[in-house]
Amino acid sequence: MSTFLVILHGLLAVALLGSITHQAIAVVWPARSKSGFVNAYRSVSSRVYVNANIVLFLVVAFLGGYIYPIYRVWVRTYLENARLFPAVGSFEIKEQFISIGLGLLPLYWLVWRSPEPTATSARTAVTLMLCFIIWFGFIVGHILNNIRGFFGL
Amino acid sequence: MNNNQIEKIIPVFSAAFALIYIVSVEVNWAPFTYHPKIGQWGWLTEPARDGPPMYWYGWLVTSTLGAAAASVLALPLLKNRPTQYWLGWTIPLLVMISVLYFFRGFFLR
Repeated sequence: MSTFLVILHGLLAVALLGSITHQAIAVVWPARSKSGFVNAYRSVSSRVYVNANIVLFLVVAFLGGYIYPIYRVWVRTYLENARLFPAVGSFEIKEQFISIGLGLLPLYWLVWRSPEPTATSARTAVTLMLCFIIWFGFIVGHILNNIRGFFGL
Repeated sequence: MNNNQIEKIIPVFSAAFALIYIVSVEVNWAPFTYHPKIGQWGWLTEPARDGPPMYWYGWLVTSTLGAAAASVLALPLLKNRPTQYWLGWTIPLLVMISVLYFFRGFFLR
């Protein structure tokens, strides 16, 4: 069951990663023309991603929180015994970043809903911060999930 | 609470959440502890019973309740001001940078 949940956590994280990256690129590098793959990628309507990103972030974070005890008891102990402290530290940072991301979600929803010009810079900043948090979390999770292969353990 | 009031307190919520969270992590303000190896819960912060204790769930609850309280308390101050969007992301950004500092020990061993 836990293997299934880890895989589901990873697959939903991939969906979230694609969605938030698409939105972030459309925000910082918008395009009017849809000719060609790159322009089509940049010219999407960023607003339509908001609710999906919020729901996906919550579901991925909840699944991560549900399977977290397995990491804490078995995986982290293993990493500490193997003296892979940077790996442990990376997960600790991921945990704190995801928590901060959870606190940012109401603001993310608000800045994309607000038509005020003063919300524009906040919209870009919050979207980029969430994009960074999700990329960081994904890369750390992926490396830890495959750490025995990475380090030949 | 109407929509306009909710809009004004959301940036305060995000800022307070990040601040209270990092303080909770550093001083261990958790209203409960989970002992994953034996599947038991305990009130406040408890030392290990069997296997490592987990405080993360408690830190999230502390931050959520604290940020909600801070938002409501800040409402009278924000009533006649425009929504402070910048507050909601600059403080969490600074907290993210501070996280890297607080956890640097893992990378310096």
